[in-house]
Amino acid sequence: MPTSSSVLEQLRQQIDTLEHRQTAVVPVAKAVNQWLPHRGVPAGCIHEVKGAHLSNAIAFAGILSARLAGDNGQVLYLAPDRRLHPLGLLPYGLKLNQILHVSAKRQQDLAWVALEALRCAQVSAVVAVLDGIDLKDSRRLQLAAEDSGATGFFLGHAASAPIASPVTRWRIAPHVSGDRQRRFDQPSWKVDLLYCRGGRPGSWTLEWRGGQEQTLAEVLPQPQPMQTAVSNNKTAAYALAG
Amino acid sequence: MRCFLSLFCPEIDEDRLAKLVAWCDRYSPLVSRDGSNGAILDITGCAHLFGGEDDLLFDLQRRLERMGLEAHAAIADSWGAAWALARYGGHQFIVHGASQTIAALDGLPVEALRLPENTVWELRRLGIVNIAALRRMAANSLTTRFGPVVVQRLQQALLQAEEPLTPWRPPAVYRASRMLAEPVSTVGSVEYVLQDLLREVCGKLELNHLGSRHMDLACFRVDGTVDRCEARTSKPNRSVPHMMRLFAGNLEKLWANFGFETFVLSVCDAEPLYPLQASLASNELEQGESFDLLVDRVGMKLGFGEVNRIVVRESYLPEYATAFCPAASASIPASAEWPEYRVRPVRLIDPPMPIQVSVSIPGGEPVQFLIGRQNHRVVRCEGPERLFAEWWRDPENTDRSRDYYRVEDEQGMRFWMYLDATRTSWYLHGHFA
Repeated sequence: MPTSSSVLEQLRQQIDTLEHRQTAVVPVAKAVNQWLPHRGVPAGCIHEVKGAHLSNAIAFAGILSARLAGDNGQVLYLAPDRRLHPLGLLPYGLKLNQILHVSAKRQQDLAWVALEALRCAQVSAVVAVLDGIDLKDSRRLQLAAEDSGATGFFLGHAASAPIASPVTRWRIAPHVSGDRQRRFDQPSWKVDLLYCRGGRPGSWTLEWRGGQEQTLAEVLPQPQPMQTAVSNNKTAAYALAG
Repeated sequence: MRCFLSLFCPEIDEDRLAKLVAWCDRYSPLVSRDGSNGAILDITGCAHLFGGEDDLLFDLQRRLERMGLEAHAAIADSWGAAWALARYGGHQFIVHGASQTIAALDGLPVEALRLPENTVWELRRLGIVNIAALRRMAANSLTTRFGPVVVQRLQQALLQAEEPLTPWRPPAVYRASRMLAEPVSTVGSVEYVLQDLLREVCGKLELNHLGSRHMDLACFRVDGTVDRCEARTSKPNRSVPHMMRLFAGNLEKLWANFGFETFVLSVCDAEPLYPLQASLASNELEQGESFDLLVDRVGMKLGFGEVNRIVVRESYLPEYATAFCPAASASIPASAEWPEYRVRPVRLIDPPMPIQVSVSIPGGEPVQFLIGRQNHRVVRCEGPERLFAEWWRDPENTDRSRDYYRVEDEQGMRFWMYLDATRTSWYLHGHFA
């Protein structure tokens, strides 16, 4: 007799085939993949990534888009300014010759470029520093992404306006690792999945392992020094003294 | 034999003349302004398009008259002769052949040779009033008396010496034009004409294995002014639908006023584009194109300077280490290798922000710092990484060093800051992820 989880899995796949939904996914980290309904962040969709600071969001979206792009894909980076320091993205697996940097001052122009780029099947990922997209634009972007299979990441910092109706919503905040030997290009983050279509919100602490590994790994909480054990010892000591 | 048309408008101002020169483009691609009140057109091989030289001249004069411009025009085999006839020719407008030219010019005064004023005055003082008299003089005696200019001008006018014409803008590689019987003013009709022109031009490009990088559509209004729009591409291209799409955004910006009557489409810049064999099995070709088309569309809307590839340069200073290279430019310079051990932030602060930092003694490492009014306590610090400007940079900057520190605060935020050469001021220069 099939277990309930495998029945659910089958049903999900049936619905997906009925809805012609993209089942291509990009893996995040082992623990996160298991949590997500499609075993990864679905490609051909739009996602919101907010960082405590914008640089956190850029790096997280950079990791995912590097995985989407592989060797030959193109990644469009759209921003209202030119403050991106591309060398800082190298440790996250992005190759500079894959990045096309588009800057536009006006929000409408950025949204237009994002839409045009999401329509292009050769674009693997669009990373846009763009917020406050309304429901109509959001639907338009989502449909364009579904058609072409390109994935959109819309970045912002903590205070920027949310975009309407993304498939997933992430919040990336720095995490104090306490490891004094870690390189500055191998950060650890507190990653919150605030919303996920067809799934539940979740929260993880992940750290980036660059170099040969190129993986996001979960950091399990350090076992706290047990308060009770200490007090037990103390009572024991008192007992001895007594 | 070349054929020149000289246009003389005695009472024209600077601004109007510039517009007139642009308008003359409809007759010939080689147009230049001539002095402060005239224009010169090289109409070699153009006259038959207008039904012959007589008809061209008549058409030009009729249109200028309608614009309310007083203008005199003449056609001759040399610039000098046309210039002289337009200004001093009386009723003689079209002159061809050496003997006819000599006969036509003989009766004209020496001013007709485009000579400096004091030379003309000197010649008149010597009793040389017309060109016939000047022609009878020996060339070497004229040169010793007046310098080479008189003989040169005379020879140029009488087809004995060549005179180059520098057009007001570089001549197009390919050009197609349509003259309409009735002026049009709607976007739809302009699109129709443009499509027709594009088919002709792209056909020519295809025959010669070329693709256009820059096309320019000149729309001539009824009132003698010109409006232009252009389409640039990142890679050579000759596809009519793609060009139509690039033009489409700009066509709406055209201002028809009383309507456009003539359209000239020129390919200003063309590069080799060899035909590609399409394959049945894969749609690789289409895919490759669609990305270039995206670059073109975005570039046309925002300007090609905003669509960039990123190139690493041979410098450790963050300002110079990377360069934004327009993706549309023909050659993107090769990227340098970036050493992995030099850890760089994801975002820079430009210009660097001055901050207040307390440092440890000894060592001089940052202990805590203020950004605005917020205090950050440093938990972890790496550095210093000392960076110098290269010797070929601005000599004032080359001996200035900066000591960069990578810093993590108690909330886990990571910053890049430096102590400048004065050893007193600290600046925040970037954010790590």
